[in-house]
Amino acid sequence: MKAFETYLLDRAKVEGNHQLATYKKSGGYKSLEKVLKTGITPAQVIDETKKSGLRGRGGAGFSTGMKWSFMPDVAKDPRPRYLAINADESEPGTCKDRVLMEKDPHGLVEGSLLSAYAIRAKAVYIYVRGEYRLSYDRVAAAVREARAAGLVGKNIAGSDFSCEIHMHKGAGAYICGEETGLMESLEGKRGHPRQKPPFPAQSGLWNSPTTVNNVETVFNAPFIMERGAAWFAGIGTPNSKGNFLVGISGHVNKPGVYELPFGVTAKEILEEKAGGMWQGRKLKAWFPGGSSCALLEGKDVDVVLDHDSLKARGSSLGTAAMVMMDDHTSIARVMEVIARFYEHESCGQCSQCREGTQWLSQIFRRIAHGRGQPDDVATLESLALGMAPGKTICALSDAAAIPTLSAVKLFKDELIDCIRQQRDPLASPAPKYASVGAH
Amino acid sequence: MALPQTLVDEFDALVKNYPERRAALIMALHRCQETLGGWISPQTMEDLGTYFGLEPVEVFGVASFYPMFNLRPTGQHVVAVCHNISCDLRGAQDVIARVCELTGAPFGGTSKDGKWSVRGVECQGACANAPMFDLDGVYHEDLTADKVARILGAVR
Amino acid sequence: MVKITVNGRVIDADPTKPLIRACHDNGADVPMYCYHPGLTPVGSCRICQVEVKQGTAPGRVVVACRTNPVEGMVVDTESPKAHETRRECLEFLLKDHPLDCPICDKAGECDLQDFTFDEGQSAGRSNEPRRSLEKRKSLGEVIVLDEERCILCSRCVRFFEEVPKKAQLTVADLGWRSVISTFADRPLTGNYQGNIADLCPVGALTLKKFRFQARVWNLIKMASTCVECSRGCSIQVEVLRGSDVKRFRPRTNPKVNGWWMCDVGRFAFDHANAANRLEGARLREGTELLQVPVEDALCALRDALMPAKSAAFVLSPFCTVEEGRAMLALARRHNAEIAFVAPPPNGLKDDLLHTGDPCPNRRGLTELGIAGLTAAELAPKLVLAKVVVVAGERVAELLGMTVMQAVPPAASLFAFECHPFEARSLVALIGVPNHVERTGTIVNVEGVRGPLAAAKPAPRSVRALTRLLEDLERLSPRREAATR
Repeated sequence: MKAFETYLLDRAKVEGNHQLATYKKSGGYKSLEKVLKTGITPAQVIDETKKSGLRGRGGAGFSTGMKWSFMPDVAKDPRPRYLAINADESEPGTCKDRVLMEKDPHGLVEGSLLSAYAIRAKAVYIYVRGEYRLSYDRVAAAVREARAAGLVGKNIAGSDFSCEIHMHKGAGAYICGEETGLMESLEGKRGHPRQKPPFPAQSGLWNSPTTVNNVETVFNAPFIMERGAAWFAGIGTPNSKGNFLVGISGHVNKPGVYELPFGVTAKEILEEKAGGMWQGRKLKAWFPGGSSCALLEGKDVDVVLDHDSLKARGSSLGTAAMVMMDDHTSIARVMEVIARFYEHESCGQCSQCREGTQWLSQIFRRIAHGRGQPDDVATLESLALGMAPGKTICALSDAAAIPTLSAVKLFKDELIDCIRQQRDPLASPAPKYASVGAH
Repeated sequence: MALPQTLVDEFDALVKNYPERRAALIMALHRCQETLGGWISPQTMEDLGTYFGLEPVEVFGVASFYPMFNLRPTGQHVVAVCHNISCDLRGAQDVIARVCELTGAPFGGTSKDGKWSVRGVECQGACANAPMFDLDGVYHEDLTADKVARILGAVR
Repeated sequence: MVKITVNGRVIDADPTKPLIRACHDNGADVPMYCYHPGLTPVGSCRICQVEVKQGTAPGRVVVACRTNPVEGMVVDTESPKAHETRRECLEFLLKDHPLDCPICDKAGECDLQDFTFDEGQSAGRSNEPRRSLEKRKSLGEVIVLDEERCILCSRCVRFFEEVPKKAQLTVADLGWRSVISTFADRPLTGNYQGNIADLCPVGALTLKKFRFQARVWNLIKMASTCVECSRGCSIQVEVLRGSDVKRFRPRTNPKVNGWWMCDVGRFAFDHANAANRLEGARLREGTELLQVPVEDALCALRDALMPAKSAAFVLSPFCTVEEGRAMLALARRHNAEIAFVAPPPNGLKDDLLHTGDPCPNRRGLTELGIAGLTAAELAPKLVLAKVVVVAGERVAELLGMTVMQAVPPAASLFAFECHPFEARSLVALIGVPNHVERTGTIVNVEGVRGPLAAAKPAPRSVRALTRLLEDLERLSPRREAATR
């Protein structure tokens, strides 16, 4: 791996950075003040962000500047406008936003304010998953400190830009990480995703124009505004720009959250950051971006971890949460866990998803526990095809179908073997956690 | 019965953050669970309904949607063990077995003495420090057999 | 309006209404579970998928309940892609459905059953255990819930939120664990609970009063009008094998009741089924009322009316326009006073349908020139009359026994009624059909005319009031003389 410049996690490594004074020492809020004091317009912020090539870090990878530009013209639409920060991080394998919120909460506050400025939002809601108590407390404290310092609220940093930031808690429902589910939840309702269109920019929170951005996404904004779109666009590969956070977990020696520029291969991350596979074992399979993207085989680890390269291998970058599995891993077991997750998290609105996630889970559970039936693999495949793509209100159904289809495609023989033997040859009852030292 | 005045004062401040009162409902449910015995009782749902101008059944619909809200009393201490993929790969099942053994609580249930509830939860975002559990709202990560025993042993 | 093509036919469609409306209005039979024209569409069941093409873009499958018509849209509800998507969706819906049609009251009018049959999906692939849930959960006095049959369309939840505007049900929990529930197992309340049994596309919500009463294919169904208040909701009267009324159900009528009716009206069929009916006619013979041929009783009435005496006619508020008109003509011929008995408001008035006025045809009778008076207002007039004729279903009950007894012994009281009664001046009782046994028109509070249908036969030897009055006319002396 070539040497590269870091910026996302630099401050996070500074002791006490979650406090305003320390944050400011490392240049905090400079970017916001620069924008507000030098007369850079919201349109210019959007333009700069578009030029930077920043894409959303929450899973879908949509162009951030483009998303902002979908907000209606403020001259023609008098409705209040909102920014919702999606801090409901709950994609299996994903633990990156938590690091930012716990260690660099002011970075999120500054990024949120810049994003709010770009879309002319008067209020930001930071929706933190309920389990992230420390994250919530740290960001809430940062907002309080910033407000006391005149950086949140009326006439921020003496400019005519006013913006409130409100903290909001989720309560354990994965589906509230879906942007329309999040909006329903923020409105105090069951987190049932809404049909799109209308898109949030047309009608989001309280029927007003709304943008929903991921934590890491807006975290990039101050850096782009301070150092320029050209700097940002100079990092990475043609369609994936900047640095990004990779969470690597599973059977590796040094699981963790690492900052990397787009362009490095998964193998480099595995070997140079995560210390390689544990116990000298081989990589059998992995998720490159959380459990909602297609499984890849071990040999695919040579892939460059960016949007286009992963797409070419039939998977996607998702949240860049690499979940690595060694050659002792049972795919039946992995899929039992993954399918149970979607079964547990389906909101239950759409028939295909409500029943399909349960059905997939039941079949994988049977296979993993030695009760597979001859048709199971074929059934799994056809059920997954009945659940996706785009057959339901939101993408959770797709998220359950995609890993299923990849498992059935890549590990068909293994699943059939489990069914034929009426046992999972790779099921391992031996304790695992005691065999590796935590770091 | 009605909500304690301290909560009402808190909610009065909270609802100002939103253009519509009911938006504060989930925050309010959290505060009720934290301060009113660790669960959301039917009485609480009724009181919240009154406060927010909602039918109790609407509060119930919302509360029951979110797995973090307990609609039944739990044990004194709640151990929520993550059993999603990253933790499973690093021995979540062993953590669960160990926690159940040490607490006497069945998985998904409460110990006979009412002291412990043990449940499985989906990804808690501690994947890089798997396996983990959340004990009464505090994350414990990079668990080992010894560490589990030490943490649970320290609970009075 | 915009022009769209549905299955090859160019039609005008309302761009503000979901596409499924345009499909249904033009004979395209798109299935639906969560969608209901009277409720906000949610697009969650996903069964109404159809293929649409716009411009040069390739066809895509969309839910017709959450897609609005756009100029030039080409819709194919029967394309292979649309069928395949619906078939897949159906398989998921059936995954946990108990398929207990043989013991399900909904069988025969179940949207899930019908569509499964249409699509020819005869075998399921699921080997998994089906959800085991509460099969007979009481939701109060009206409704019983079978949680296993529920497909979570949420129509019932939305009904209470949107129509009576007071939430009583919710989807509790999430995912496949979702169930329909009230708060803390409380019973449903209010006068509109029965509607959710009609709304339920499957047999999850059934009426306690209809449970195991009939197989729906054995019911004869007639379009009629509810007579429990002056709203006159359009209803369907459903009779089992020509005997008892088993159900009243709302019949869609945007001018009157939309898709709904109240429970008071819905369960009023006990009146219609009541025993102890008056057959033929009875005539005073000393202290007794003896069964006689109807003509004998009519002759007695004719004779009583013949000399110019002061006569008073009192109609039931259940009398149809036709009956009112015939009685009015008779009253004019005999210079009789005529009114209908109008009980005071019964306190059931609400903001939705019930008017609280127990006179279903108040407007129709009033427009004929027949005034509505309370029993108390009528009593003094009846004391003075020499001949009193009360006519119509429940007229004696509504006037009350005190008023009937107040007619002096010197006067003659004649009654056209459904049920026998006794009063000291009573000369003759003549049976008439009740509101499910006769045809006619009633005019509701807003002037909308509604039909009554003869959904079941009247008791033996009972003729319609209009027919009886024709017969009376035929027995008049002028005609008798002519035939002699």
